[in-house]
Amino acid sequence: MKSVVDCNVVEILNLSDKQLVSLSKKNVLSLSLAEMKAVQEYFKKLKRNPTDVEMETIAQTWSEHCKHKTLTGIIEYIQIKNGKKTKKTYNSLLKETIFKATVELNKKWCLSVFKDNAGIIDFDLKNGVAFKVETHNHPSALEPYGGSATGIGGVVRDILGVGLGAKPLANTDVFCFGDPTTKPSKVPKGVHHPKRIIKGVVSGVRDYGNRMGIPTVNGSVYFDHDYMANPLVFCGTMGVIPKNKIEKKVSPGDLILVVGGRTGRDGIHGATFSSVQLDQGSDVSAVQIGNPIVEKKVLDTMLSARDLNLYRAVTDCGAGGLSSAIGELGQKTGAVVCLDKVPLKYDGLYPWEIWISEAQERMVFAVPPKNKKKIVEIFKKENVEAVFIGQFTKDKKLVLKYDKNTVANIDMSFLHDGIPKPTRKAECKIKEEKLQKTVKLTSSELLMVLKKSLADLNVCSKEWIIRQYDHEVLGQTIIKPLQGNNIEISGPGDAAVIFPYAVIKGTKKGIVLSNGLNPSYGKINTYKMAASAIEEALRNAVCVGGNIEKLAILDNFCWGNPNKPEILGSLVCSANACYEMSKAFSVPFISGKDSLHNEYSIGDKKLSISPVLLISAVGVIENVANTITMPFKNSGNKVYILGITRNELGGSVISKIKNIKDGIVPNVYPKESVPIMKGIYKAIGKGLIESCHDASEGGLAVAVSEMSFSSGYGVNINIDYIKTADTMSAAEILFSESNGRFVVEVAPNNENRFKKIFKGLSVSEVGCVSDNKFVIFESQKEKVKFKEKLINLINSWKNTISW
Amino acid sequence: MFGIEIFTKTKYKDSRGEHVLSDINSSGVSKGVKKVKYCSLYIVDGNLSLNEIRMIASCLLSDNITEGYKITKYGSKNSKSYLNNIFVSKAMIEVVYKKGVTDTVSSSVVKAVKDLGINKDIKVKTGHRYYLSGKLSKTILDTIACKLLSNTLIQEYKIKSVK
Amino acid sequence: MKKVKVLILRTAGTNCDLETQNAFELCGASVERLHINFLVNNKNKILDYDILAFPGGFSYGDDIASGKILANEIKNKLGSQVKKFALSSRPIIGICNGFQVLVKMGLLPESELCDQKSTLSYNDSNKFECRWVYLKTEQKSSCIWTKNLPSVINLPVAHSEGKFIPKDKELLSKLNKGNQVVFRYSTKDGKEPKYPLCPNGSAENIAGICNKKGNIFGLMPHPERYIFPLQHPRRESSGSEYGWGKIIFQNAVNAVK
Repeated sequence: MKSVVDCNVVEILNLSDKQLVSLSKKNVLSLSLAEMKAVQEYFKKLKRNPTDVEMETIAQTWSEHCKHKTLTGIIEYIQIKNGKKTKKTYNSLLKETIFKATVELNKKWCLSVFKDNAGIIDFDLKNGVAFKVETHNHPSALEPYGGSATGIGGVVRDILGVGLGAKPLANTDVFCFGDPTTKPSKVPKGVHHPKRIIKGVVSGVRDYGNRMGIPTVNGSVYFDHDYMANPLVFCGTMGVIPKNKIEKKVSPGDLILVVGGRTGRDGIHGATFSSVQLDQGSDVSAVQIGNPIVEKKVLDTMLSARDLNLYRAVTDCGAGGLSSAIGELGQKTGAVVCLDKVPLKYDGLYPWEIWISEAQERMVFAVPPKNKKKIVEIFKKENVEAVFIGQFTKDKKLVLKYDKNTVANIDMSFLHDGIPKPTRKAECKIKEEKLQKTVKLTSSELLMVLKKSLADLNVCSKEWIIRQYDHEVLGQTIIKPLQGNNIEISGPGDAAVIFPYAVIKGTKKGIVLSNGLNPSYGKINTYKMAASAIEEALRNAVCVGGNIEKLAILDNFCWGNPNKPEILGSLVCSANACYEMSKAFSVPFISGKDSLHNEYSIGDKKLSISPVLLISAVGVIENVANTITMPFKNSGNKVYILGITRNELGGSVISKIKNIKDGIVPNVYPKESVPIMKGIYKAIGKGLIESCHDASEGGLAVAVSEMSFSSGYGVNINIDYIKTADTMSAAEILFSESNGRFVVEVAPNNENRFKKIFKGLSVSEVGCVSDNKFVIFESQKEKVKFKEKLINLINSWKNTISW
Repeated sequence: MFGIEIFTKTKYKDSRGEHVLSDINSSGVSKGVKKVKYCSLYIVDGNLSLNEIRMIASCLLSDNITEGYKITKYGSKNSKSYLNNIFVSKAMIEVVYKKGVTDTVSSSVVKAVKDLGINKDIKVKTGHRYYLSGKLSKTILDTIACKLLSNTLIQEYKIKSVK
Repeated sequence: MKKVKVLILRTAGTNCDLETQNAFELCGASVERLHINFLVNNKNKILDYDILAFPGGFSYGDDIASGKILANEIKNKLGSQVKKFALSSRPIIGICNGFQVLVKMGLLPESELCDQKSTLSYNDSNKFECRWVYLKTEQKSSCIWTKNLPSVINLPVAHSEGKFIPKDKELLSKLNKGNQVVFRYSTKDGKEPKYPLCPNGSAENIAGICNKKGNIFGLMPHPERYIFPLQHPRRESSGSEYGWGKIIFQNAVNAVK
């Protein structure tokens, strides 16, 4: 197929500042004036104007999406707390917070951090575990099905493109949506109804994940009208990689092989687009549609090429397409690419379109010439298209050709390091939080709040979503997303555990995946949101048997416009929380991603999202037999609570239900939590805990109810026995969302050994599992008692989302 | 160019049609729709004989237990009978991808036609047809098509009255 | 004792081949996973094996309909070899997508004819359903794969097109009379289930069938996902160190030993 041979020269040398800005805007380059001037400066030195291919290449490489220039740029930060101002300048926020913690923790089991397409930790002698989480927000707002599907496809390719390629074992998905019960008339023009977005996004993840044969095992959904116009879609993939395949190194002379899907006009400007605010006239070609079977074929074949050592490096075509992939691989060497050799879906593409297209399912390999025939043979056998399009050189230049004409020739060093560092201002005013007026409720009101909490969109059953994902393909999901003592009913699991027996023969080890997400706290205090998300992710992993000493975490920031000092300030504040918590829990970050500019304008009205930090945790479990689920296991067993309940109703579910204005947002107390988490790991290993569940949204009342109705056993809880830090009412104790708490079930004959482990820590026996089918909470002090049939609680929990 | 429409035989459950109906009803777009029948649509272009088209429809595109097929000439004539905004009792909404949008099923069909032993170069486009009955108007059908059945960013739809 | 040789046929979109291989290997068989392109070029290779397995997945994306394109491809390119294999009484299993392929190429329920007599259609719920179910095992069934199973077992299902529909009532009664129904979805006590315990609305809750001889077995549930107790939601075992799924593979391996 033929492309149009037009390659235009872009007049830039003689442009004024104003003209530079308008050029950037007109051509959707998303480059700032300072950046445009740096480009102008460079080409002045070359004594010529750039071609359109060169301009597009620079715009892609320097995009927010590829370069993360906000988080790696200079930030002048001011924090105001209790009227006191503190100032600090960051030369690179990322390096001085998140990455710094990882460097300082210096865990030997972290094999590859923040440098490749995914983070890698140690699994066993021969293998590592790779994990990556990405966002795909803007495409999912425009085309929910295609957007989320390509989100999954993209993150799976990140795993295929880490090192010399990992084998994907599991996917995770976290979404933030608008309220699905929103009246159609309340949906802004040009925005899809939240329910349509939800259905589309879930179907996209389902169809791509299921067809790839990768189980979707963990996730979370958060609803708030803030996300109506700008839904957030986080997709994660975990895989395993042999340790001797972690390093990649391109040698000059290696051939450039593009494998998989063909190139079309899909997703042109996706990378720069992700840094632009959405508006109704958004570019049509920014939408990509995925083909999971093409990617599956690439997966099937490339790992056998990997094991035959037929290539030296690989990476995926993500944002920026070939431009980013080859630009990255050839950064230290240089590369010549013949754009006319790239296989196309249809005629009529301009050279620059071929170069930056974000068509899906493409991988780029660096192949030593001697393996040329062999590697193509492997792909051809299973109908995978693989075409050589160029060669890595040693002149450190990026040269692009079309029909023997040179259409681009720039220095790799300028492309990668020529970007001027922006300076941004950030300001964070820490809001003062006030304790709410004491919340006293009658027995029947307490029950009402419990049922409403269970039915709350952010607590209710997500079974409608989870069962559409094949979460058991590969047969390795031994702790499943839905857990029940009967097949008929199930409760929400805290984390998933993969037992990779089919891939790593003879292993006894497992891999735990979990997440933490608290956007409602972020509306009040982004420091506490970040700290809580980290604690929640760790807590969830610990609940199923995860070892906090072998957990690593990933960050995903989704924020508004960073050019606004207060928005960037709230981000700096949460990045600081990340540093402090990572250090305090001794849990390193191994990878991360940010999506900024999550703003949307309709007319003159500006909608912006509440900031979200998603924390995803991954860890290795020594023996998969030592893992547990959350339903109660037997009547007569004792119920314990580990951790302290504080009067922390800020951003809680009850505060929404009862319209409580004030309230303290839950804080994190690593010194209390770490020994408890270590204790639980030890106790589960010794078989002393029958079931464990974390108290989060909806507090203890919801956690205990979930353990009960998923088991078919009733439970009696004495509220007066619950250990609190402050004087609290029954309602506050039951529905406070304090971090660091676990509900655990212990068999009577294990009680002594169990208590010994937690000696000196905050542990309280609060009730027991019963044979009758009732959940009962009682406080003699406050003279309240309520009792409800399990079936009614299940129905409250299950009926909110059942479409 | 041929249009091959695959429908569920009346004695079998058309779960996809029922699902669309329940979507329409719960979306609040219209209360007038009483029934939806779903059909998948394959638009096949190439130098094929009618026999070959029949073979493709019967051996490949339809399930010979639960589904039937209808072959029609597909072309610009189809778009003629546009609705006015008066109420009708039956209408069809056809949704296809816009030009240039990746149509993954299409490449599978091309492969499968070769497997049937028909060694000709063909082009395939896939789409959906929804036959609605009830109290319908152009406005209602446009809303259903835009809000539920297609995303006009990547797909285009046609509305036709049917007898 | 000879080593039993198993062939797992795979193609674009096959994705339960690895765990199926593991299941057979655990039963002492030696397993090869071969791509259909290779088999089409080496047509008689199939006949070198003792057992043939069509694993789960989404062959060719399940475009058009589940299993349809692969069924046609096999029929047109490998039909006579597969038929020969089937008629030689060697065991064949089709799991999930594999079952859809067997039914759509007509190897089930009447392998002699190789003509599609039944189908697996869209679930009544119009959704993909991933869940564990109870299966009532038909004790009189002639299936060689399901000997020694108790009256009710658990297995997981994961499909959106699993509703078994026979061409007509005669065929259904023929299947019943010929003891060709192997598994039915049921309640815990083997009674008639409702959705979601019957996840798809199959005729007479049929989850798996075999041919008259009992060597060819097709089922929607995934026995390869219940090899160890750890894989079960409550970690139940089959009374040994294995899950009930393993017994199914073991039966076939034992039958050809």
